[in-house]
Amino acid sequence: MKLENRFRLQVGLVMLCLLGGFVWFVQAFGLDYQFALSKLPLLAGLELSPEGFIQGIPLTLLLCLLSTVLAVAIGMLSALGRLSSNPLLYGLATFYNSFFKGTPLLVQILLIYLGLPQLGVVPTAIPSGVAALALCYGAYLSEVFRSAILSIHRGQWDAGKALGLRPHAIMRHIILPQAMKVAVPPTFSMFISMLKDSSLVSVMGLWELMFLAQSYGRSAYRYMEMLLTAAILYWLLSIVLELFQHRLEQKLSVSARR
Amino acid sequence: MFQRQTKITNTIAALALLAASHSHAGATLDHVQKSGVLRGVLLESYPPFSFLNSKNQLDGFDVDVAKAVAKKLGVKLKLDTPSWEVIAAGKWGARWDICICSMTPNKERAQVLDFPAFYYNSPAVLIANVADKKTSSIKSLEGKKIAVQQGSSYESYLQKKLTIEAPNAVQPAYPFNKVVIAPYDNEELAFQDLALGAGKRVDAVISNLVTANERISKTGKFRIVGSPLYQEPNWVAVDKGDAQWNARVKQVISELKKDGTLSAISKKWIGSDITN
Repeated sequence: MKLENRFRLQVGLVMLCLLGGFVWFVQAFGLDYQFALSKLPLLAGLELSPEGFIQGIPLTLLLCLLSTVLAVAIGMLSALGRLSSNPLLYGLATFYNSFFKGTPLLVQILLIYLGLPQLGVVPTAIPSGVAALALCYGAYLSEVFRSAILSIHRGQWDAGKALGLRPHAIMRHIILPQAMKVAVPPTFSMFISMLKDSSLVSVMGLWELMFLAQSYGRSAYRYMEMLLTAAILYWLLSIVLELFQHRLEQKLSVSARR
Repeated sequence: MFQRQTKITNTIAALALLAASHSHAGATLDHVQKSGVLRGVLLESYPPFSFLNSKNQLDGFDVDVAKAVAKKLGVKLKLDTPSWEVIAAGKWGARWDICICSMTPNKERAQVLDFPAFYYNSPAVLIANVADKKTSSIKSLEGKKIAVQQGSSYESYLQKKLTIEAPNAVQPAYPFNKVVIAPYDNEELAFQDLALGAGKRVDAVISNLVTANERISKTGKFRIVGSPLYQEPNWVAVDKGDAQWNARVKQVISELKKDGTLSAISKKWIGSDITN
């Protein structure tokens, strides 16, 4: 117990030193912090946009939340498709995976936003952004899920069969609960990555966190101030996600020990 | 099999019809009149033409002109702020009706957008770091690095292939030999680099007189070199293919010019009348 406390203290000191280094680096820029502070409530989304819609952090979170739910569903389906012996499902999943992992997210956003209107469907910015983020991250998550499923020992399948369970029951009740535990850390890394990539949707004129930071910065010639503020806000949001991940991991490991 | 094929063919035909139907003549004008809303696009960080003011509202010269146009049409104004590339790519797919966004018609843009009305002039200028006493003209920058916004008319100018696609436009001359073009994704970064000092990352930036003056007065880090490079007319842009809408926009702008609205807006934001 004493050893553990000492370790914690040392880790805390190391992190404090690094944070100090970062603060020193940033203060060397000689920035106008008063300006950044005055824009903080706007970035945090305490005010609505001129159109009366949410802006800043709430919009970023809304986009990420919708995209995450969709991406997890798409990723799961695609992972199952990639593990399937049905040529149609396997082909679909593999092509989808390859395309959305292999092309830039910005291009995917613009393909949906600018491409679909040429076919007569005119999606607005939020559905286009959510669709692009969900499709892109669904492809990455599908690989996370697939490897998590494959990491479960074959013996688990054999045991399930010996109990007379059907394959989909084995998958649902034996394999997936165990695979979930393996998948949690990389899945949360994806969520954090998506949080930041969601700034790409600003090309469609969505007033999310990064868009506002850049706009205020350029409009008042205080660019670095605003970029730095946005960086800190993204960092704080990702720390919240990390804490959530930590708790989820603990919960899952407790249930596995039982 | 056959049935499926006809289904696919039908679907494609239907999609093509849909695509065609939303761009018929008068469609934009119809939409504006029926919905009672003018949907404009402009930039959100291009002071003093359009920017986010301290009250979180879009404000500036272009915004005021857009408001005046909507008022003249008797409709409400709704503004969107997609990126410049999205605006300039055209094919708006009935999303927006008008772009009062400081656009200079050039050959490439005229292929995807229509330019029904001229509304202001702001010449292109060369900008140097305020501490740089050597740069005296664009000719003196031979072999040096000049920064421009990627995809801007200034980039075409440095490539010596800018053709201003407007009636009575004076085509630019190119009094320089070889310069290195540094295209920037955003002009802000170009100016950040110029602020480091001449020759550090870039030697000069090309932008327009009005935005440059605004930046110089707010930051004090730059100076304008010599006289303007060329005249740059800015036109109202609309999606291609609705002649009736073009005519209406042209009429509205000329009325705003006649009744003094445009010059009043110009004096408010720029201090002089640049709308002639």
